[in-house]
Amino acid sequence: MSTSIDKSEHAQADDYLNAPQGRVAKVIEHLKRDWQIYLMLLPTVIWLIVFLYKPMYGLQVAFKDYSVFRGVAGSPWIGFEHFETLFSNDQFIRAIKNTFIISFYTLLIGFPMPIFLALMFNEVINQTFKKTAQTIVYLPHFISSVIIAGIVIAGFSPSSGVVNTFITYLGFEPIYFLTKPEWFRPIFIGSTIWQEAGFQSIVYLAAIAGVSPTLYESAVVDGASRWQMMWKITLPSILPTILIMLIIRIGNLLEVSFEMIILLYQPATYETADVVNTFIYRQGLLGGQYDLAAAAGLFNAVVAFIMVMTANTISRRYSNTSIW
Amino acid sequence: MSGVKLERIVKTYGDVEVVHGINLEVDEKEFVVLVGPSGCGKSTTLRMIAGLEEISTGKLTIDGAVVNRVAPKDRDVAMVFQNYALYPHLNVAENIAFGLRIRKEPKENIKKIVDEVAQTLGLTPYLERRPADLSGGQRQRVAMGRAIVRRPKVFLFDEPLSNLDAKLRTQMRAEIKRLHKRLGVTSIYVTHDQVEAMTLADRIVVMQDGNIEQIGTPMDLFLNPANAFVAGFLGSPPMNQIRATLATGASGPVAQIGNQQLPLPTLPALADANGQEIIVGVRPEFADIAVADTPDQIHINLDLVETLGSEALLHASLGDDSFVLRTGTLGKMEMLDNVTGFTIKPELIKIFDGTTGVAVAGQVQRA
Ligand SMILES: Nc1ncnc2c1ncn2[C@@H]1O[C@H](COP(=O)(O)OP(=O)(O)O)[C@@H](O)[C@H]1O
Ligand SMILES: [Mg+2]
Repeated sequence: MSTSIDKSEHAQADDYLNAPQGRVAKVIEHLKRDWQIYLMLLPTVIWLIVFLYKPMYGLQVAFKDYSVFRGVAGSPWIGFEHFETLFSNDQFIRAIKNTFIISFYTLLIGFPMPIFLALMFNEVINQTFKKTAQTIVYLPHFISSVIIAGIVIAGFSPSSGVVNTFITYLGFEPIYFLTKPEWFRPIFIGSTIWQEAGFQSIVYLAAIAGVSPTLYESAVVDGASRWQMMWKITLPSILPTILIMLIIRIGNLLEVSFEMIILLYQPATYETADVVNTFIYRQGLLGGQYDLAAAAGLFNAVVAFIMVMTANTISRRYSNTSIW
Repeated sequence: MSGVKLERIVKTYGDVEVVHGINLEVDEKEFVVLVGPSGCGKSTTLRMIAGLEEISTGKLTIDGAVVNRVAPKDRDVAMVFQNYALYPHLNVAENIAFGLRIRKEPKENIKKIVDEVAQTLGLTPYLERRPADLSGGQRQRVAMGRAIVRRPKVFLFDEPLSNLDAKLRTQMRAEIKRLHKRLGVTSIYVTHDQVEAMTLADRIVVMQDGNIEQIGTPMDLFLNPANAFVAGFLGSPPMNQIRATLATGASGPVAQIGNQQLPLPTLPALADANGQEIIVGVRPEFADIAVADTPDQIHINLDLVETLGSEALLHASLGDDSFVLRTGTLGKMEMLDNVTGFTIKPELIKIFDGTTGVAVAGQVQRA
């Protein structure tokens, strides 16, 4: 038996010696050896190609005078004309500004929230309370945005909403929240946080669960309080996770959940509510200007790309944590 | 008087009792080692002393004060863990200083103490490094440093050397011993490795299944194990245990092993117990090898000779029991393959009850 093993080992060693050295050859060698693994990867690759790469073909209309009748290939090139149109449009400039403001506040308040929740859940000792509380905060994630928006609209309704009922009970005039530009952002940001913070906290809870319990035991013997352990052990231990999540969030920064905006905004609040994606939606789908909308979308994507690259580079340089 | 005293300490997890009312008194400055097979409750006992596990019933006293209900941080103990429990995000200096910073020591003090301890442990060149960039032995030292800086009343060690390779383990063992000599802090050390126990301990506590089998100095336990379990646990290789029947020979009691008779020490306890089942305990190093023409030998069947350099281990069988002999090689190499049996002085034989395994009265004395 041992001789047969020896033989195959020799054969393998010979293979290595005779193997062609190039890059392509290496890839082929890998494919041959681990083809089962690559086979499992295939569905995802196909999905990416069909749904993300193939549509990129249509992106060229951003540089064309597109008409549905001539088709993507048949429409004439016009260079950067759409971009010029966009940047001379006050509404588009306003949409960029709103996108950044809303994104920034969502990040500022919405990003720490799940971390805070996870840390708090981690401190809860009573398991029944913990499970119940977790279920309650996860729940909104599984509810459609349409229903969330319905709840928000009902809650802030001037006549029957709880908020205004309470305000009038205190003897003040009811506020027409959803028609006031100054109220749009707090309401939008608040409701998206309410919807997602709980669910996002799962990632951090998982990271916390990965911290070795002996670190805490050792700290307990050394005399650390729960508060000190949170600051000096838990938080630093999940810092890499926090940074990865931050990079991802910054990459998605301009992807404000625009369906929620569409559901909540109205012409009276466009001033503070209209973002690039809702602008694209109105111009492209409602207005039929696909080429202009494609240009706006491309702009959004390029900015997002630059931001995620920058975030990743900064993180890699200063904390040795990065996605690639 | 910073000793530790355990009185009828019991630990239960749900309905399962894992430590069954143990009693132990550790004197000030003493180095006590808890040893026993995996799962016997050593860690649980140590963790109860540290305050990491609640004591189900019983009384725990540290330095004269009952501490059952005292929080770990107020017990003034420091613990070293098997996996070191170093903070990966802190460098060596910060790791060592952790306990002091938690206790809000003044900055200058911390620096001074850390430098001193780093010096003692040979960690000075590594103070800026993260644990991930250290070798196993260095990490172990950092863990020790973190315990030392606290200047606690009691050190607790839970298998601190188990993750190190054999050579490093021997080296660190000596270092721990030296450190204990220098600092003179009461220490309780848990290990499953009897060599560690023998070399480090002032007194060894042998545990099995949540009970203490025997407490004593390493030599006490080696020479006079209280029962067959302790005999089989300590020493490498451990004591040979041969099933036999008590009989009376020409000049006193003998152990009837098959058709051979092994003379036993003349103990009062053996006088009237003819026919009783016993276990004869023979230390591999206490028996002398015998060749064909040696008189009064007990015959054994030699299977295998392992030569270790200055010593050799002879693996043999005697009836249904295996039997190991340990002997020097100097001038005997040619004899080893021709060994036919062994001889032993009766006073070096231990006798255990065949059913309970408890040692029959009588002490082996050997300087
Ligand atoms: N948290 C726990 N819950 C239930 N049983 C436990 C727990 N911790 C330890 N035990 C049991 O207690 C016994 C002693 O464990 P331990 O003290 O860790 O043994 P060791 O001597 O190897 O250190 C084992 O049988 C183990 O299964
Ligand atoms: Mg253990």
